[in-house]
Amino acid sequence: MITEKKKQTTLRRNSLGSYLRFMAMAFRINVKSVLEYRVNFMLQFFGMMLNNAAFAAFWAVLIERTGGVGGYGFADIMFVWGFVSSGFGLAHIVFGNIRGLSRIAIEGGLDVYLLQPKDPWLNLLASRTIVSAWGDFVYGFIIMLLLPGIGIERWLIFLSLLVPSALLFSAIFSAAESLCFFMGNSSSISSAISEFLLTFSLYPEGVHAGWYKWILYSLIPSAYIAFVPLHVFQSLSWPLVPLLWGIAIVYILLARLLFRQGLRRYESGNRMDARI
Amino acid sequence: MSVIQVQQLSKQFRTRVSSQQKTAWLTKLFRPQYRSIDAVKQVSFSVEEGEVVAFLGPNGAGKSTTIKMLTGILQPSGGSSTVLGFDPAKQRRQLAWQIGSVFGQRSQLWFHLPPADSFRLLGAIYELEPSVLARRTAELVERFALQDYFDVAVRKLSLGQRIRCEIAASLLHKPRLLFLDEPTIGLDVVARREIRSLLSELNSVEKVTVFITSHDMGDIAKVCKRAIIIHHGEVVVDESMKDLKHRALAKKYVGVRYQEPVQFSTGGLQPLKATDRSASFEIDTRQHSLPELVRRLSGLGELEDITIEDEPLENVIADIYAARSEQAARNVTAGGRAKDAAAKSAGSGKEAAGADNGRTTGSGESQAAGGLS
Repeated sequence: MITEKKKQTTLRRNSLGSYLRFMAMAFRINVKSVLEYRVNFMLQFFGMMLNNAAFAAFWAVLIERTGGVGGYGFADIMFVWGFVSSGFGLAHIVFGNIRGLSRIAIEGGLDVYLLQPKDPWLNLLASRTIVSAWGDFVYGFIIMLLLPGIGIERWLIFLSLLVPSALLFSAIFSAAESLCFFMGNSSSISSAISEFLLTFSLYPEGVHAGWYKWILYSLIPSAYIAFVPLHVFQSLSWPLVPLLWGIAIVYILLARLLFRQGLRRYESGNRMDARI
Repeated sequence: MSVIQVQQLSKQFRTRVSSQQKTAWLTKLFRPQYRSIDAVKQVSFSVEEGEVVAFLGPNGAGKSTTIKMLTGILQPSGGSSTVLGFDPAKQRRQLAWQIGSVFGQRSQLWFHLPPADSFRLLGAIYELEPSVLARRTAELVERFALQDYFDVAVRKLSLGQRIRCEIAASLLHKPRLLFLDEPTIGLDVVARREIRSLLSELNSVEKVTVFITSHDMGDIAKVCKRAIIIHHGEVVVDESMKDLKHRALAKKYVGVRYQEPVQFSTGGLQPLKATDRSASFEIDTRQHSLPELVRRLSGLGELEDITIEDEPLENVIADIYAARSEQAARNVTAGGRAKDAAAKSAGSGKEAAGADNGRTTGSGESQAAGGLS
């Protein structure tokens, strides 16, 4: 009888609705936290957009001289840059701790999340937002506004693929950071994997030739973050949209699984800290 | 009804062995050597509902490790535990709904935001209805007197104010059991006193079972009804505060000051320190009669002042720690001798394996040595 009651309570709790409510509240709190320092927020926000715009100028000059790179024209490059920026930004806005997971775990900072009844992985990732990521996120929208001939359908594709892109970024970053459970200090390899993912995603598919191209469809899935979305965007291939969603969900579930496996090796710590 | 039941709970950590040899970096790279450290060794105890239990021990005794196993943060290496009917190692999240915790060195409040915002997020984490959250928050704000700084960013609060908020936050979801790990660490005397009285009130009003670790004997003496002392990962004392205080009562400190110089003659009891007009004595009431000593001292001359004090509780506990450390050291030495003898009898000229092991091996070997003696 008691066990049944316990089960019922558990089922009622931690429902999808409760997680959405928690995520919404965490997002609100995170935004409020970064807005405590408005000048810093504005500087990082516009600074990141300026940084991205500098690359756009670089590509404009290059494409003007070469006529195209790896089969991509200027508009293609700009879409990839804008889309990848927004996906990257969205991942870091909602899951601000994805690049800090290993540091937090090594310092014993997971205790706070393990003491709470929400999924510790989601709780940890959603407990922070990265200020400069807001600049990345908005940059993609500005690019879309500036690109010529973007109709409503292409806007819809852009919007519908942003979440899978953010999920893929989150999955790979989280998985790379979770290596710390198995390797101890894995910061070098984690940051290398993260850099690979971002760099490979920002260059045209045509420049990646040979066997390692398959890595971009598996271990470092830049293909699903940039190349396939560009194809969908160009050819309006709606059937590929749910496929990309499915792939992103598989990756994110695998990343969570890796974290959970690693969590068994967690040894806590006694460093003094605060939640920022 | 037991809310915590712990049986033979153990935790071992594996750590790399460092070597001073020149080629150590090479062997470390290809064949790293490890040794295990017993942080907690087969600890057993239980806590009843409504109790306030002090979990004491010196630094590195295994207090925090035990608490982390009881809250599901760490997986035990051996033994079992049940907390509120749940196995923390397997049912951590179910357990989390019913326990609260404050780890003095870790904050669950957002540093840049007021506690009010953290309470809102905690409300979402513990799935409290908005009306329930508002009512509970108001209740805690009043009880913990947080009104003046509930809307001030945590970074601007004093440590005492922050800890008050931390404890209040840990009670938001009405936990049945509260784990407090060094809650008064770094607090001044006034803040400590306030936290203690809040904890006592909490226990009596909300009937929350409290499991507390602290190095502050004031916390323990004022708040707790029972003390479990752990040392080198083992429970060495588990008794009521009354009994623990009784140990303190056995020893008295007597101070006397006379109007004129006197010659101290107290039947063989030597003063701790003395001048020609004053002296202080430490007396074990199980061996010497206190009234007899006072009578003798009164007879030595015209008394100006006399004081009789109990031994401070922290001295009693420090004596327990010291006694166990000495015993452990003796055991290690005896264990080392036994090991040497075994190595010699095996005809081995090499060092016995694990020669640089710390207390782990020492403790393990001590049992063998005990058997031999």
